[in-house]
Amino acid sequence: MASQDPKLTRRKLLLGTLHGAAVVALSGCGKLFDSLSQNDTMNSILESAEHVNRRVHRLLSWRNKLAQEFSEKDISPVFRANGNPPPVTTEYVEDAAKQFVSWRLEISGLVQKPIFFSLADLKSMPARTQITRHDCVEGWSVIGKWKGVRLEELIDRARPRSEAKYVVFHCMDTDGDGKHYYESIDLIDAVHPQTILAYELNDRALPVDNGAPLRLRVENQLGYKHAKYIRAIEFVAGLETIGGGKGSYWADQGYEWYAGI
Amino acid sequence: METAREPAKLVYRHNRVTRLTHWVDALALMILFMSGLQIFNAHPHLYWGNASAPDTAFFSIGAANEDGDLRGYLEFYGRQIDTTGYLGVQHGPLAPSTRAFPSWLTIPGYYSLAGARRWHFFFGWLFVLNGLLYVVFNLAVGHLRKFFFTLDDAKKIPAMIGYYLRLRKESPQNGEYNPLQKMAYTTVFVTLTPLALLSGLAMSPQLNVEFNWLPAMFGGRQSARSIHFILAFGFLFFVFCHVFMVLTQGFFNNMRSMTTGWYTETLLLPKDPPPAAREIRPDIAKALKSESPPAQEIIELVSVADIPVDHARKASTEVLPEADSAGSTSTEQEERKDGEPRS
Repeated sequence: MASQDPKLTRRKLLLGTLHGAAVVALSGCGKLFDSLSQNDTMNSILESAEHVNRRVHRLLSWRNKLAQEFSEKDISPVFRANGNPPPVTTEYVEDAAKQFVSWRLEISGLVQKPIFFSLADLKSMPARTQITRHDCVEGWSVIGKWKGVRLEELIDRARPRSEAKYVVFHCMDTDGDGKHYYESIDLIDAVHPQTILAYELNDRALPVDNGAPLRLRVENQLGYKHAKYIRAIEFVAGLETIGGGKGSYWADQGYEWYAGI
Repeated sequence: METAREPAKLVYRHNRVTRLTHWVDALALMILFMSGLQIFNAHPHLYWGNASAPDTAFFSIGAANEDGDLRGYLEFYGRQIDTTGYLGVQHGPLAPSTRAFPSWLTIPGYYSLAGARRWHFFFGWLFVLNGLLYVVFNLAVGHLRKFFFTLDDAKKIPAMIGYYLRLRKESPQNGEYNPLQKMAYTTVFVTLTPLALLSGLAMSPQLNVEFNWLPAMFGGRQSARSIHFILAFGFLFFVFCHVFMVLTQGFFNNMRSMTTGWYTETLLLPKDPPPAAREIRPDIAKALKSESPPAQEIIELVSVADIPVDHARKASTEVLPEADSAGSTSTEQEERKDGEPRS
């Protein structure tokens, strides 16, 4: 290492400089990206991609294609439950013990005819069964068999007014701060043949962990759109008055309202 | 050690569109990679197939608490490696924290799946549109053809490796790009990029509805996710090799050619002249002209960017270099190869 070769010292100098520059650049870059990530203007620029995604996907969806349906042997051994823990109110717990006989689904908002449905009412309506894959925004997937009533069936009975553009789901589960879960989809997704309100999972009554008594299945969207523990469905013209203004518990916390990607 | 060199001559190597899209691509790839690692951190396990049954991951990064001592590990097909401090567990100013990839490798640095997705999808679009601009423009001007890997190049690979390892004095290079460069670029263009895009799209539930074959072509959605992750490291490997070559093969000369377009050529003249310059095809030019304003811009760039390239080609086919006719100064003419100190 006692070489006096100028080549070597120059190389050392160059490498040393590069190493130093890399360390400074990395921590500087990190700080820059962290502050950009919290900057409102930057976020609205980045969010433009969500709108492009939604528009491009909508251009494709006129064909009304179906999500892939799997066979019985593909069903996952455990259907992972994620999100809020089940509701703990006395009302919910007692009703759950009695197979939700007191529970009613309220349909309201911009409709010709507000209606209430009991679980028995829903079960007496035409049912759809589908074995589909559930994709969580975190990255994992599970396959389950769902049985329920098509949302379009309920829409036909409630007859939304022409101003109605979105279907909002009000849920019984709460986060750590006691805030109720809420989610919304547009009428295009609402009338998709595979969009159902499920009351059965894998041939058994929908378990409490997976959203009993009723949860949404909207197979072209990520898991967080599939509202669990549904209490009421509301038809609205805009989402500004729902929750934090974005119409979705997770969209109000920075996730995409359009979760098709 | 001294090998005979031709007198240095300045060539116009990269057109404006190539230079612009190169740097946009560099930025987009960096952000896509780092925000992708943050997205991975939300569920640091990889699986094969459609679904992700617990305990079936073939690859995981995790943390284990051993008697109050946090230990990070990487697990691959049941074999564990301790990665404390780098993967799984990161040392912090106050206490160690558990995260798969450390904060200095992710965008944002703090944990935010929502934030990472915003960066990833925006720069995903930018990456695609930027790539399209590059490909369409360079197909039109005939630039892409120059580094498309052929069977003839495949035969020259051993000779080229020999040249780089200094086992051979003569480079088998014929044209502006050597066989290894052609192989690397062609792989990135026709394999890595399309597969990375498709495996990314295969994770979208809506696109799965529209195109059932998308996840199926990778063997299921979880396989697509795993392949997307592996391909990201393919890009990282390419970038490492690319930057290594830039640093060792004349850093300043290469950086200049990717910012100003001008490159000092010191290679020995090839035995066979490179293929003749291809003009922009009149029908393509016409088609482009009839389109929207951005296409008009492309036409302008074609006419401006193409002139020096033609001169440069002429220079390399004729014995006397006359690249200066494109407007370079005489000082640039005399420049020697940069980055290789001569004592």
